[in-house]
Amino acid sequence: MDDSDRAIINEIQSDFPITERPFQELATRLQLSEDEILERVKRLKEEGVIRRIGGNFNSKKLNFTSTLCAARVPEQKLAKFVETVNRYPGVTHNYLRNHGYNVWFTFIAENMAYIDNALNEISAATGVGEIRNLPAVRMFKIKVDFEV
Amino acid sequence: MIDERDKIIIGLIQGDLPLQKKPFAKMAESIGMTESEFLERIRALKASGVIRRFGATLRHQEAGFSSNAMVAWIVPDDRIEEVGKAMAEFREVTHCYQRRPQKDWKYNLFTMVHGDDKDACYQVAKRMSEATGMDEYILLFSEKEFKKTSMAYF
Repeated sequence: MDDSDRAIINEIQSDFPITERPFQELATRLQLSEDEILERVKRLKEEGVIRRIGGNFNSKKLNFTSTLCAARVPEQKLAKFVETVNRYPGVTHNYLRNHGYNVWFTFIAENMAYIDNALNEISAATGVGEIRNLPAVRMFKIKVDFEV
Repeated sequence: MIDERDKIIIGLIQGDLPLQKKPFAKMAESIGMTESEFLERIRALKASGVIRRFGATLRHQEAGFSSNAMVAWIVPDDRIEEVGKAMAEFREVTHCYQRRPQKDWKYNLFTMVHGDDKDACYQVAKRMSEATGMDEYILLFSEKEFKKTSMAYF
């Protein structure tokens, strides 16, 4: 990544232009050509630096609810558990972490009853009983762009 | 309030923008909408906060953020507001939420901390601890990513 790549990334995380020719507007802002910006963005995606370009939503304003779940999963049940959890489209992030509660996943759905029911299904299917549902009580900060 | 046409748009922009000179025209055409209505509606969704952010989402590791830690804290209820706000002020903290503790999980404040390496995350957590006086905390690092995707709402 060179300075132009970094400048593009810093610019398009939050301020991607919602205009007919967004790459043309970026070109003006960054003093590069439209073609060059497009080529660089394509390359950054191929290289995996950029995952996607699109909208990120306030799930609450779409009448969805979200939560963070933590599970204690024994090693021998891990593969089955992960496969079962990941099958739910509302599970968007899922990580192994260094704690007794070793599997942490986020879950978005239309309501909490759906999520509670899904957690019961997951327990029944995997034999993992200790799954904690930890919905946010209050949000102090959410920042999703990174200076590179 | 969002209507059915907004939902159709969200169904498209929750995915990935086509990389071409007129990406919005291309998406609008695919659902038989004019480009100007498509753009207007996206701007309105952004203005009302339904779209929290429109732009590129990075894969952090490849972009140079090699480590992130979920730092969980035990904060007394009567200090949660003050401590939550103080921790949110840290540049390295991208998410800060209060969550209800459950059974043997006693931690009630969650902060996501980004750093160059694990040690940097520990140092940030230490500074957060010193700034707030909160000293019961743990760092949970992601050892493996099982899934990372964007929600498909509609």
